[in-house]
This record gives sequence, structure tokens and C-alpha cells, in this order.
Amino acid sequence: MTEYVNIYINGRKYEAKNGEMLLSVARRNGIYVPSLCYEEALGAYGSCRMCIVEVIAGEQKGITTSCSLACTKDLKVETDTQEIIKHRKILIELYLAQAPNSEKIRELANKYGVKNTRFKRKIEKKDPLDNKCILCGLCVRTCNELIGRGVINFINRGYKTKVNTPYFESSEICMGCKACLEVCPTDAITITDKGDTRILSSWSNTTVKMEKCIGCGKFSVPEPIRKKMDSKFFYEDEVLKNLCPDCRKKLITKKVTLISEKKVEQYVK
Amino acid sequence: MKITSLEDLENIARKGLKKLNPDNKVRISVGFATCGISVGGDDVFKTFKEKIYERKLNNLELCKTGCIGFCGEEPLVNIKMPGKSIVVLHRVTPNDVDDILQKIENETYEFHKAFFKIDDWDHVTSKIHYGDGYENIPKWNEIKFFKPTKRVVLRNSGIINPEDIDEYIAVGGYRSLYKVIKSMTPDEIIEEVKKSGLRGRGGAGFPTGLKWEFAKKEQSDVKYVICNADEGDPGAYMNRNEMESDPHMIIEGMIIGAYATGATEGIIYIRAEYPLAVERFKKAINDAKKYGLLGEKILGSNFNFDIIVTEGAGAFVCGEETALIASVEGEIGRPRLKPPYPAQKGLWGKPTNINNVETWSNVPVIIAKGGDWFSKLGTQKSPGTKVFSLVGKVKNVGLVEVELGTTIDRIVNYIGNDGVNNGKIKAVQTGGPSGGCIPENLFNTPIDYEHLAAVGSIMGSGGIVVMDDDTCMVDTAKYFLDFSIDESCGKCVSCREGLKHMHDILDDITKGKATFEDIDTLKELAQTVKVTSLCGLGKTASNPVLTTLKYFYKEYEEHVKHKRCFARVCKDLIRYVIAKDECTGCTICAKRCPVNAINGEKGKPHIISQNVCVKCGICYDVCKFNSVKKLSEAIGGEK
Ligand SMILES: Cc1cc2nc3c(=O)[nH]c(=O)nc-3n(C[C@H](O)[C@H](O)[C@H](O)COP(=O)(O)O)c2cc1C
Ligand code: SF4
Ligand code: SF4
Ligand code: SF4
Ligand code: SF4
Ligand code: FES
Repeated sequence: MTEYVNIYINGRKYEAKNGEMLLSVARRNGIYVPSLCYEEALGAYGSCRMCIVEVIAGEQKGITTSCSLACTKDLKVETDTQEIIKHRKILIELYLAQAPNSEKIRELANKYGVKNTRFKRKIEKKDPLDNKCILCGLCVRTCNELIGRGVINFINRGYKTKVNTPYFESSEICMGCKACLEVCPTDAITITDKGDTRILSSWSNTTVKMEKCIGCGKFSVPEPIRKKMDSKFFYEDEVLKNLCPDCRKKLITKKVTLISEKKVEQYVK
Repeated sequence: MKITSLEDLENIARKGLKKLNPDNKVRISVGFATCGISVGGDDVFKTFKEKIYERKLNNLELCKTGCIGFCGEEPLVNIKMPGKSIVVLHRVTPNDVDDILQKIENETYEFHKAFFKIDDWDHVTSKIHYGDGYENIPKWNEIKFFKPTKRVVLRNSGIINPEDIDEYIAVGGYRSLYKVIKSMTPDEIIEEVKKSGLRGRGGAGFPTGLKWEFAKKEQSDVKYVICNADEGDPGAYMNRNEMESDPHMIIEGMIIGAYATGATEGIIYIRAEYPLAVERFKKAINDAKKYGLLGEKILGSNFNFDIIVTEGAGAFVCGEETALIASVEGEIGRPRLKPPYPAQKGLWGKPTNINNVETWSNVPVIIAKGGDWFSKLGTQKSPGTKVFSLVGKVKNVGLVEVELGTTIDRIVNYIGNDGVNNGKIKAVQTGGPSGGCIPENLFNTPIDYEHLAAVGSIMGSGGIVVMDDDTCMVDTAKYFLDFSIDESCGKCVSCREGLKHMHDILDDITKGKATFEDIDTLKELAQTVKVTSLCGLGKTASNPVLTTLKYFYKEYEEHVKHKRCFARVCKDLIRYVIAKDECTGCTICAKRCPVNAINGEKGKPHIISQNVCVKCGICYDVCKFNSVKKLSEAIGGEK
């Protein structure tokens, strides 16, 4: 049974599940705490450090990351003390230097009034992630833990860390699902579709074949995904199998409308 | 033979004592830990073996022992004649062997390399009177290096043969295990450890008894205990020595901890660079199994527990407990967020209790002598002793074990016997690469967890590096940062990016290219990295920077304002010149200069072309008349 506790964020009382992460509670209640590496489906990871808050009362007193702070009875936190803001601004400066091309980081910087970075910008000529990656780890974790593929991983250590396919070789196991691109907080990943091919230029130019939709004729579903779905799902109507999501939606709507129209007819009679 | 009763243990103890303190034989033991071996201890051992064979000395026992701690005086050789004290000879070379054996044969006891003698020794778990004699040789505890020390962890180091379980049993070993299995409940053991006040020696100082209690409370069919022997700090080697000199004390501690927490399996995670320790552990584990002290039905009880040795992945951060666990599981060694703590979800998701080598070493003593006895050592908040590795610019270097609360001054100036070359000691750095630098005017600081933290440093694993006027503090901060940068796992932004930028700023300062704003930026960044890093590595890596900024700001200022390095270390801020009236024109410097920067005729003063010189320092080193000067003068601004 879920147990609920009262907690206090910036002096106001909120209800939280016992053990729930503070960042989730804040998000649910519309309290802004910046975060770049937290996805509820994946759990806390702690790499971006932006979500720091100050615990005033509770077990882990002091400054700690809210994505890993479990709510307990009468936990009291402040999310925007002077000190927290000071640290966040410096972290943003670090990000500006690390990912100088990222629009998202610049937006964040503007929000905090950080105009510039005092640190040397790291710009690499042929960066597959376009000098936008902040190594938050979300793409790696999504591909490993949620998609179950493990196409990409961390390479090297320390400030030489990079994210990519092992040995920068194009991948044989990528499904082309784009989940990595979806979760990336800095829009660092480039994936483009060309004819019947999906090209993951960020991931060592991995390519994935696409299938044509028998409805509209567009290449829309990556082959490996189709194959996987075939083995996993049972389609009531075989036609659905070879349609793209858009056409599938259309067909289903049509069917439903047809059925309801018939019902209406019957009703009117 | 399996030991099941106290009588069995006593029988083995008697056997062991005959080897350790024979009454009808001469025993020669050679210091055979890595420190001794590295300066020729193995050659000495080999020579003894050959010569004993040549001389057909049957009534003589040659064996290995660990390190007594005085590493600067190795190779050490212990000579034990029947009934007499142990004489410890220092700096022994293979050439001394014949002379030593001759004297033993002649029964003249004047060994010319005699250093000190041991008549009585407190093994803590027992006391042994080894013998008497040698009026002219000082007792071990009369010499400065040993006088203020208190040996609890190093209770057997350098005396017993670490490869012989019988000798460990002879000095009271495995009695504590016997005691807990036969007469104590897990709760009583934990109570005793809590009462002792023992805190983790791996750096953070967390109360050990409390940690054990957490692990015990968890319900699980499988639980683990781990011995953290990853010791990755440069310059620190106390754990290595403890393992090489007395592996059984650690194993005994682990078995007791396993019994108390309900663990079924133990893992010793040991740095791969420590092959001798691995070897000794493996032998010790085998020997303990043969005696039924480890494995199934320990001491005839229903308690089963086994230990395996795992070699580390070779990264400093793998010493961090969650990274260590990931590494044992075959993952990359990156720390993860806590909670959950290892006690809740550790190795393979099971409750795991992890302690440092030295923490485990203290356990048998606490059981043998009682928590109360232990808590009276050291200070109230930091009871017990700690082994430190004392290195750097002091005369005596080695491992020193003192009660916590001993002042830095006592360790550095008394035990260390002052600076080398009578140079003034300027600072010490404690706690490894992420510790702080403490200036000389704070040397009255007692060494314990709280006092070190108060001056901006840490206990860490117990490294003490002594620095004198030849050390530039900015360069030192940069040097330690270099280490942390290489070891950062790269997971969190603060440590991964922050340390690199701190380094770049420090580099600019040492090159005379920085401004005062850069120093401010450095300080701000250092604070953010300290507060916001994910694991202990990043949280402490700023310490050398923050403390040198605090205590040696003047040096930073000099680098920035006057482009001058007081210690004349920073290459870009020094100049080599030849003093005209001191140069004899011997030409040696000109001959040795790799870039031909020195000109001059024989017999006439030489001159260095500054724009050619690459500042290698060779001329400075080779000039016999000290006419080459290393200068760092103020540029821009008053002198
Ligand atoms: C970067 C880093 C390196 C560490 N290295 C070691 C180590 O080499 N040995 C060790 O015992 N503890 C090390 N620790 C501390 C461990 O995480 C852990 O606190 C310790 O093993 C717990 O044992 P204790 O309670 O007996 O001290 C390290 C911590 C950090 C953050
Ligand atoms: S597109 Fe490829 S790399 Fe990206 S999440 Fe899907 S399988 Fe992984
Ligand atoms: S590519 Fe995006 S999601 Fe992946 S680590 Fe970099 S910033 Fe994070
Ligand atoms: S502080 Fe450094 S070593 Fe620790 S998790 Fe962060 S990057 Fe890795
Ligand atoms: S410091 Fe080296 S390069 Fe410079 S003059 Fe002397 S020997 Fe030559
Ligand atoms: S969201 Fe908490 S550290 Fe990234």
C-alpha cells in the first residue's frame, strides 16, 4: 500500500509518496527544478548535477541532487537558494564550454542570466554530436535499458569521455527506433531518412532499412522494428501490418466511423 | 587437520612459537615486503640461502617476514639467537651476509649493522618475551622513529612470518574468531564493535559497528562482505604492507564480520599491482581452510563462509564502494548514486558490507581486548590508531602507526626527524591526491577526522607527504589535480569538466599567463566542484587547490603579479644564468648543454643565451663550482 507523507518545498506543503524522488514531486506540482539527465522511466542517474536542492530538514542535510532525494516525512527543501543558483550558474558555464553549439543549453543559460562562459570552449571539427552533447547518459541508458539494444555506450574516461558505438563502427543491431534522439536534452543526435534508408549519422553512420507503407507509399517503419513487432503482436487485420502509423490511424478511424455510422443507422431505424 | 577446540588452537600455537622463538636454533628473517624487496631484500635472502647451504649450517632457520615500517632503512634482517633478543640489522647488502653468518657461527654478537633490538614485543593479542642481551644496541622503542608509535594494526608486522599461519596463531591469532563462534551472538559482536568506536579507515570514517548493524538488519539469503584493498593513492602503501606482513589478521577480521552480519561469502578486492599481497592472501586462505577456520563448518560450528580474491580493474575510482561493486559485477567502474547503500543493495543486489583493509585489521583486537580497551586509544571521537605513510622531504620515511589525535608536528618533526638537508619544512599534504596542504604554522593540529576537515584536508587513506621550500604550492596543486583528472570516471559534469578547467587555469598561473580574475574563477569553480560532484573523488579533488589558495595565497599572487616562482620550480618563470665572477671556464656546462646555449672560451666566464636555453637544468646540476644560478625574478611591479 502506498504511504503518503507531507513534505515542504520552498516553505509550501505538498503531498508525496513515501520514497518518491523529490524531483518527480516538484515536476508534478509545476515547481521548476532544472534537470538534464532524469527520466522517470529510467530512474535517477545523477550525471548532470543541475537538479541540486538544499535539504533543510531530513536525513541528507545540505546540498544534494533532487532526482535522487527520496521523500520522507517532513522533508524540507529549498530549490533556489543563493548558493544553489551560484553553483548552477557555474555548471551552466561548464556546459556552455562543453556544448557550445547547443541551443537548449543557451536557453538554459538565458534563464539563469548567464551570458558567457569563462572557460575554454571545447570545439571539435568533426564531432558526430555537433558539439552539443553534455554526456548526460540518457541516450545510452535508453538504448540499453529501455530498448534493450545497447547500440551506444561511453567511450574513454574522464574529460575524454564520449558517447558512441563501440570503436566508432557502424552498428548492426540498431533498430532505428530514434528513442535516443527523443530523449536527448540538447538535440545533439542527428538521424535522417533518405529513400529507403535511415541514416544515424551521429552513431558512426549506422544505416537501417525502412519499409514502404502500402497505403501512402512513404518509407516509414524501420525493418527491424517491423520484424520485431511481427513476432510480438497479433494483428486482427493483416493489412495493418504494412501500414505506416499515420495510415494505420486513418484506417482504424475509418473502420470505427463505419461501425458507428452503422450503429446510428440501426438506432434511427 | 581441522581445529575445533581451544586445545587444538593451543597445540598449533605451541608449534608456531617454536618457529617464531626457537630455543635451540638461530632464526634469521629477512624483511620481505615490497619495500624491502625493491631495495634488494630478495638478493639478501637469496645470498643467505646459498651461504647457509655452503656453510652447512643446519641449526639455522631462514625465513621471510613482513615490514616493520622503517622502509627508509630496508633491507632489514632480524637475527634471533636462542635466548637472546632479536637484533634488527639495517641496510643489509648481499656482501654483509658472510660476515653475519661468521659472527653467528663464532657466537660473537657484534653485528656492525645492528640498528635496534627487540626484547619484549606486545602483539596485542599476546605478549612475548623474545630474550635479553646486547647491552650496546638500543631498544626498538628508544629510537626516535618508533618511540611515539603505538602498534595495534602493525602488531605482528616485521616479526612473524606472514606465510606461516602457525606463527599467527602463536601470537594469539584466531583466538577472537574462536571466542565469537563459541560464545558470542552476532548482536553482541556488533555491540562490542560499536563500543570500540572504530571508524572506517578507508577515508570517510563511518562508524563500523553501525554499518555492520545495517547489513545485519537486512533480510536476505545471500549477503556479502568485501575487503576494499584497492589502495590507489599515489604514495600510500599502508594497506599493501598490512596485507603483505600479516594477511591472517585481515582474514580473521572478515570472518568475524561475516559471522556478525550473516554474510556467506567474502571478497577481497585487491589492486592488480599488488601481486605479492595477492599471493600471500591466496596462501593464507588455503591455510585457514585446511585448519577449518574458513570454509564449511568453521571451528566445527554450523557457520559456513568462504573468501575469494578478485583483482582490481586498475582505476583509482574503483576504490569507491559503488564503483568497486560495479567492477566486481563486470560493469564499468563508475560510481552510482546512494541511497540505496551497499548495505541495502550491494553486490548483485544483495546486502553487502564493505570495509577497508585496516578497518578489518582492527577487528580481532577489539574482540580480544574489548571495545572499552580500544575506545581508550586515540581521541574520544576518533578512537584507535592509524597507520600513515610518511614520505617526502623528511629524514625518516616509512610507515608509522600512531594513536589518532597525535599532532602533525610529532609525526613530521619527531618521527620524521626533521627535514632533509636541514631545509625548512613548509607544509604537509595529508590524505592522498585529494587531501589538503597544511602549512607549518598549523602543525599543532591533531590528526583525526574532525581536525583535518577543519583545516580543509582529509584523513583519506593516511598518506602524509612532507614539502619544503623547494616545493611550489601552485605546481603542487596542479600536480595533484593531474592525478584526479586522469582518474575521474567522467560520469558527472562537475568533476569531468570542472577539474579540467581548474587545471587549465593553474597551468596558466604557473606559466605567468593568468590574471587575478582567473584566480577568482578558479576558486569559485573549485567550490562548485566540491559541493556538486557525485562521488567522493570529485567532492575532494578540489582540496589541494582550495587549501593552497587559502594558506599560500602569496605564492599565487607572486606568479600572477610578478611572474615569479619562489620555489623556482615553474619552468616558464625561471632563468639559468652563469655568475661571471664565479665561473672558472671549465667548459663542462657548455659540453653538456643539449641545445648548445652556452658559449665561452676555456678558462673564461661562460654565458647562456636565454633565447636558446630550454631550461633543462643540466648545467645547474653539472657545474662543480655552483656558478650556474637558477633565478626567478620579479617582472613588472616592485621587487
Ligand atoms: C575515489 C575514491 C576512492 C576510494 N578508494 C578507496 C580505497 O582504495 N580503499 C578503501 O578502503 N576505500 C576507498 N574509498 C572509500 C570507499 O568508498 C568506502 O568508503 C570504504 O571502502 C568503506 O570502508 P571503511 O568504512 O572501512 O572505511 C574510496 C572512495 C572514493 C570516493
Ligand atoms: S535508434 Fe538505435 S541507437 Fe537509438 S535508441 Fe534506437 S536502437 Fe538505440
Ligand atoms: S547525445 Fe544527448 S542524450 Fe546522449 S549523452 Fe549526449 S546529451 Fe545526453
Ligand atoms: S565525481 Fe568524478 S569520479 Fe565521481 S562520479 Fe563524478 S565524474 Fe565520476
Ligand atoms: S638549462 Fe639546459 S638548455 Fe639551458 S643553458 Fe643550461 S644546459 Fe643549456
Ligand atoms: S537530474 Fe539530477 S543529476 Fe541530472
